[in-house]
This record gives sequence, C-alpha cells and structure tokens, in this order.
Amino acid sequence: MKTVIDAHNIKKIYNPETVPVVAVNNVHLHLERGEFTALVGPSGSGKTTLLNLIGGLDKPDNGSVIINGVDITRLSANKLIDFRLHNIGFVFQSFNLIPVLSARENVELIMQLQHVKKAEINVRVTSLFRQIGLEDKMDVRPAQLSGGQQQRIAVARALASRPQFILADEPTANLDTKSADNLLDIMAKLNKEENMTFIFSTHDQRVIERARRVVTLVDGQIHTDSSPVSVHADYPVTA
Amino acid sequence: MNVIIIIQMAWRNIWRNKVRSLIIISSVAIGLVAGLFVLSLYKGILEDRVRTVIDREVSHLQVHHVRFKEDFDPKYVIPGKDELIEHLHHLPTVKVFTSRTVAQGMLATGTGSSAIQLVGVDPEQENQVSGLNAKLKDGKGFSNGKKNQLLIGKKLADKMHLKVGSKAILTFIDKESNIVSGAFRVAGIYQTDNTPMDERIAFVKQDDLRLYLSLDGEVHEIAILLQKDGDVEDVQAALKSKYPELKIESWKEISPETKLMIETTDQYSLIFIIIIMLALSFGIVNTMLMAVLERSREIGMLLALGMNRVKIFSMILTETVFLTITGVPTGVFATWVIVKIYHRHGLDISALGGQAMSEFGFSSMIYPAFPWEKILSQMLIVLMAALLSSLIPAIKAIGLRPVEALQK
Repeated sequence: MKTVIDAHNIKKIYNPETVPVVAVNNVHLHLERGEFTALVGPSGSGKTTLLNLIGGLDKPDNGSVIINGVDITRLSANKLIDFRLHNIGFVFQSFNLIPVLSARENVELIMQLQHVKKAEINVRVTSLFRQIGLEDKMDVRPAQLSGGQQQRIAVARALASRPQFILADEPTANLDTKSADNLLDIMAKLNKEENMTFIFSTHDQRVIERARRVVTLVDGQIHTDSSPVSVHADYPVTA
Repeated sequence: MNVIIIIQMAWRNIWRNKVRSLIIISSVAIGLVAGLFVLSLYKGILEDRVRTVIDREVSHLQVHHVRFKEDFDPKYVIPGKDELIEHLHHLPTVKVFTSRTVAQGMLATGTGSSAIQLVGVDPEQENQVSGLNAKLKDGKGFSNGKKNQLLIGKKLADKMHLKVGSKAILTFIDKESNIVSGAFRVAGIYQTDNTPMDERIAFVKQDDLRLYLSLDGEVHEIAILLQKDGDVEDVQAALKSKYPELKIESWKEISPETKLMIETTDQYSLIFIIIIMLALSFGIVNTMLMAVLERSREIGMLLALGMNRVKIFSMILTETVFLTITGVPTGVFATWVIVKIYHRHGLDISALGGQAMSEFGFSSMIYPAFPWEKILSQMLIVLMAALLSSLIPAIKAIGLRPVEALQK
C-alpha cells in the first residue's frame, strides 16, 4: 500500500506566550492510500487541529507532516497553497461554496486554478456531477440548494483537483439524516471504486460506523487507533 | 483562464451587496462630478477672461514705440506707422486693427479729480476691435460732428458724480511737454467686467486728442485682432522681424496676470481634485475593508483550496476597478449634462462675491466649459485613487490565515 500521510511527533500549542493550550501533543499518524478513516473524540480533543495540520492549513510547533514524500511543514506559505491545490481536497462542515458561482463553476474553479484545459474540465465536471447525482443542479447557485446538495457539491469540488486525499471536517454535522446517509454513500462509493482516501473529523455515529479505521483523540493525543467496533467498546463517542 | 475567473468573481462579488456597491459607485460619480465641474468652471472663467482680454481690452497684439510704455510720454509716437498700417492691411492673418493716441492725465470736476489714461480712438475702428459701443451702459457714445466728447467708465462716473451730458476738465501734457487742458462733455458711460479699467480709462475721439497733444496724424498704439488666436506667436515674430525698431507685444505680455492665471489654474484645480480624491479614497477604503471582513471566511476557504495570494489580491483590486469604472461614465455624463445646462444659461455668482470678481476683471456670470482635454487625466486620477485605496483591503485579505479565517 502507498503511504499518503506520515505525521511524525507533531505538536501544536496555542497561546504559547500567555496561556498555553496543547491542542495536539506528539501525535504519530500514518495513513495509506484508500483508507476511510474517522478522527473522533470529544470537543477540544484536537480533531480539527490535527486535520488542519495534516491539510497544511496550520503549521505544527514540532514534528513533520510528510505527504506523498514532501514535508509540508518546510514549505513556504505560497508553496503550501500550491501544494494544497494539487494534493489535498477539503470538505468543510458548513459547505463553504462560493455563493456568487453556480454549482458547476464552484467545481470548475479548482481545475481552472490548476490550469486544466477547458475540454477536460467539461468531461470531469459532467462525470463528477453524475457521481454525486446532481446533474440537474449544475447551473444552480448554492443558495438554491439544500444543505445536503451543497455538501455533495463540496465533495465534487474536493474531488475535482484529483487530490491525494480528502479531509472532511465534520461533513455531516449540518445535515439531516437522509442527506448525511446520502453523502456517506457517495463518499464510501468513491473510496471503494476509485480508492480515494478520506479522513474525517466527526462526532457522527453514522460516519464512525462506516469508517474502516477510527482514531480516537483525547487531550490532543491518540487514545485508540482501531476498527469502529473496538472504538464503540472503548470509547463511546457522542456529540 | 485564471484572469477570466478573477474578473467573473470580482464582477459578481460587487453585486452581492447592491446598496453598498451603489454607494461606492455614487461616491465615485459624485467625486468626479465635483472635480470635473470645478475644472469646467475654471475653464469657463479662463476662456471668458481670455476672450475679454483679447476682444475687449488689449487685442491679440499691440504695437508701440519702444520707449512709450516707460512713462507714456506723448512724444514717443510709432515711427513709420503709415508703412506698418499698409502692411497690416495686406496681412491675411489680421482680422482688424485700430490706431490709438494715448495720454496720461487728470480728470477734474467741481467735486474733485482723478488720474486717468486718456485714449484717443477712431470710433468706428475701435468698435470693431474692442466692441466699445457694446460696453455702453448710458448715453449714445460718440456722434459725428461733435467735438470734445468723452466716454468714461461707470466706476469713474460714480466716483466723480458724472452723468451723461456732464462736463469735465481734462488736463495732460502735450508732445512738447506743455500742460494743456480742455473741457469735454460726457457722451456715454461704459461698463466692463474689469472695474479697475472702468475707473482708469477714458475715451475721446482721436482727432480731438491729437489737437491737444500737438500731434499731426501720429499715433501711440496700434491694436491688432487676428483671425485666429493660434496665430499670435507667428504674426508677432514676423512683425518683430520686419519692424525691429518697434515694440510688438502679445496679449500674454500685455496682460501677464491672465497668462499667470492660465498657467496656475491647473495647479489649483489639481489641489482641489486631490482633496476630493482623498475624501473618495477614505470611502473606498472603508467600504472595501467591510467587504473583505465580511468575506473573511470565504477568502480563507479560497486560500485553503489553493487560490494563491496574488489572485486574491487581484480579485479585490478588480472589484474596486469595476466599481470605479461603473461610476466614472456616470460621473462624466452627469457633469456633461450639468455643464451643458449652465453653459447655456450661465451661472450667476454675483450674490457670492460678484463685485470682488469684477474688481479682478472677471465676469460674475460664469459659463462653464466642459474640459474634454482633461477627461482622460481625470479618469486616470480617479482610477489611481481607487486602486490605491483598495490596496489596504487587498493587503488585509491576503494577510488572512486560512485556519483562522475559516473559523470566523
């Protein structure tokens, strides 16, 4: 199996000068291609911080994050932006689609930033919208879509750049049950059929149940790293 | 392709908050209207002043004896004036000209006296060159066959309590340096926009004055009106070359204050425009900062997804450019309409210091002229001000850290 993420001994402290808060403490995490992993833990356990560090949105105070052989903690801010563009897909809790662009344009944006040719963009956009089941909503603005539909567009946008992996921060938190199930179906299918790597931070039991690997964080440290069944037994996760 | 995305996003972004965008567009338009209208007023005042100087006061060119203007001694008549006049008759660039006899003297009445410059004119020629009859406010002016008639300015008439028909004694020095006096009757009272001139210059018939000055057909001054304003330098140079013994001056040399005004107006208007642009800039900075702060989360998301800082920066700048270039045509058109109306009907500022304007030789009725030649520079100034103003919000945007912005 190909290693996608290799986080070594990463540590993140907020407010080091005033009231230090250790958000992530000496975490080692190794993920391989095709994993469907959930990061779980109570609020403040460091899930989102760990996700931000892996995604290159934040820099650790200590340790390294190697993605596809590149230590992203050593990249300059501008190179990191470019690295994210070509290697990492993001799905945010509150969708974060650009309201002034249509669903299609939101998905196209990433590819345009990557300088993908127009013809190829069209092929990929059509394919992505078929995968998420929203072919009839391509020209609709986000405000006219339901939360579930917006999150599916966000998944399509994350996939559009053909990333090494997709980081999803609480992707089902703002969705109703049906929409959440629908979204998880799509992501599970992409994982299974295209071997796309997904890492979620979540409180959602449904996500945890679908995950093939569950990493539990407590006080910024990995508490357990196992299958969902053992997680339920060791550490019942509730929102 | 990325340029198109930035343009597309910027254009749509400015319409996310229509009221705010319309406020900026209106500010740009109003700022431009203010700046351009001031330029229009300056241009109107200047054009009016230049026309007055040329058509009513000094003409395009004046010819004198080289020493005449040192102390206006009547003995310094124009040498070879007949040949010069003959030459002027044949110059196609010359529209019309007149000769004058000039003397410095005193006007006395029972109530007092006043220093004046007495100008002896050929009424018909003078009317063609300086529109003397058009300036008359009272009286009929010079009449054929009547001797010792006098035209005085309203200011002088008021000062000396003179009316049409009143008598005044004029005293001056003749060609032989003898003091001579004569009784003249006021045949008309003129009024111009130049109050100092109205107080100082009095007109008599040239033949009458020559008699007192002991001149025999000689003249002190020839005023020349040309077909085109643009011919002044060429005709002046040609005459100077042909008549090196004469002093040939252009209106800019005779009326240096007008020349100075033309040269400094651009600087004054620039200062005024900079003040307007500063006010506009504060408005743009404030509004665009608000727009950036409201969209912090979205900008953070774009940074997270991989839109680099140059593109974010360009997007904010492009939004400002769009707001500006939407406001500019509105401002230019509005100014054009306003100027068109006032150019036709005039803007009467007599209630706002018209007397003061007149003291400096300006009309209290202003006819603004649209400054076409300055439109491009004004638009560039507005655009530059807008771009500079958007630098602060744009720098703020690219300074956002995605991890923090996404939590807002």
